[in-house]
Amino acid sequence: MTAGTAVGTTAGTAAGTTAGTTAGTTAETTAGTTTAVAFSSVTKSFGAVRAVDGMDLVIRRGETVALLGRNGAGKSTTVSLLLGLDEPDGGLVRLFDAEPARAVAAGRVGAMLQDTRPVPRVTVRELVGFVARTYPDPLPVDEVLALAGLTELADRRADRLSGGQAQRVRFTVALAGNPELLVLDEPTAALDVEAREAFWDSMRRYARGGNTVLFSTHYLEEADEHADRIVVVDSGRVLADGTAEELKRAAGGFTVSFDLGGRPSEGAAALPGVSAVEIRGDRARLRSDDPDATVLELAARGLVRRLEVTPVSLNDAFLSLTSPEQSR
Amino acid sequence: MITAYVRLEVRRTLRDAGFAISSVGVPVMMYLLFTNLGGQNSAAYKTAAMVGMAAYGALGAALSLGTGVAEDKSSGWLRQLRITPMTPRQVVTGRALTGTVVVLPAILAVLLAGGLVNGVRLDAWQWAVTALALWAGSLPFTLLGLGNGYRLSAQTTGVVNVACNLGLAVVGGLWFPVGLFPEWLATLSSYTPTNRFSELGRSVAEGTAPEAAALTVLAVWAALFGAYAAASYRRSARTT
Repeated sequence: MTAGTAVGTTAGTAAGTTAGTTAGTTAETTAGTTTAVAFSSVTKSFGAVRAVDGMDLVIRRGETVALLGRNGAGKSTTVSLLLGLDEPDGGLVRLFDAEPARAVAAGRVGAMLQDTRPVPRVTVRELVGFVARTYPDPLPVDEVLALAGLTELADRRADRLSGGQAQRVRFTVALAGNPELLVLDEPTAALDVEAREAFWDSMRRYARGGNTVLFSTHYLEEADEHADRIVVVDSGRVLADGTAEELKRAAGGFTVSFDLGGRPSEGAAALPGVSAVEIRGDRARLRSDDPDATVLELAARGLVRRLEVTPVSLNDAFLSLTSPEQSR
Repeated sequence: MITAYVRLEVRRTLRDAGFAISSVGVPVMMYLLFTNLGGQNSAAYKTAAMVGMAAYGALGAALSLGTGVAEDKSSGWLRQLRITPMTPRQVVTGRALTGTVVVLPAILAVLLAGGLVNGVRLDAWQWAVTALALWAGSLPFTLLGLGNGYRLSAQTTGVVNVACNLGLAVVGGLWFPVGLFPEWLATLSSYTPTNRFSELGRSVAEGTAPEAAALTVLAVWAALFGAYAAASYRRSARTT
């Protein structure tokens, strides 16, 4: 996904943003609102630690959004606030234009929480069946179990499963009530590659039905591959919000690299379009918003040696976003 | 919705071997030991001890519910419940109802041991009303257990529950008759919920109506422990 020529990348951005909203038109039963999640200036501290620090975020219905951030960036607190498990110190959290508790009580929300151990002394079927029964319009239990590949394990006790199996049970619990908004906090943490693929398959199938999905992750590839939109969070704030392509562009677009051939690198930062310079051994890597101009100027100075122009990777974009001092 | 929840929680509790041993096995064993080894083996003592031990079993079962709640808090099950459409009030009510179900095996087991092994003879209505009185009278202890469970960590809840259990059982006269107590302790005992709880069962087993004082003391404790449980639940909801 990160591949593609310079032209392709720039053209791709506009289309990406609207992809999510078109899916939202399939809203069937519920009236009105097109907004699934809204945070405005939300703050939350634990003691001296500001876990969420002025968060603004809007998720429209039908979108699949990744909350991307390092450990301790505030993702889990954001999820807790969103679900009404925690009260914000300031600001406003709304789900479907109502208080989180009301949306939860109405059965519109399902969630897979981090750090929950399986409930002791119940079978998978009993657990999923119970959760489904608390919702007004649940999926058939056998169907959800099959969707998560748990049919074989249905009569096993939930506390006697492997880590990956338990993770699937938690996903099933989130899904059982057929909620409109599915919130997944680090959903693939304990899964192996195969189980991960199967998980994302089920998630996509669910999202395709016009439902809204918010998942948090610290894996860039997951965000890039499975979300319509990526919200980068650090120190409890939204640093960037857009499609993967938009994030890459916002981070400075392209990398222009070339061999210095023993020459000094002082002038590099002043080249047109260049926002950052990195020298590794004899090779210079310039981050540039306007690679054409940068390359023309390099050529005019006779500096073109093993020249390479590549779009910034999401990884670079993420790093430059989350450590601002490095980017400028 | 609540029934589904109560069914789930009752199953979980009854599948716990530790629960079966401590709240059913231990009271039955203690009852049989106390009534067959000691010097006093009169029929009246066997009846009184039966009610006392059934009350003790119910007390243990009711309190152990709190230990379960504390475990559910640390395992994340309480958080998971809070994002189901069940309201907090339904969750707490469901838990309290679970308590009223799981005290039954403890009460019935000791009454059975009394009737079948020790030959305690009561009219059919007396058996029924004794069981019912013990069952209803265990509510304050269920609320106390819930209050501890929602407020404290799993380990602390275990310790506090054992302390409550032993303290209330001994001072309340469930193990040894209050008649053996010095006067000041006997007075103190008459204000404990456990003492009034067993008195409730005993008066029925002896064929008399319970005293108004017994009902009043129990009702006051139920209200106190209920407020404690509610406050603890609100606190747990904040900090998790």
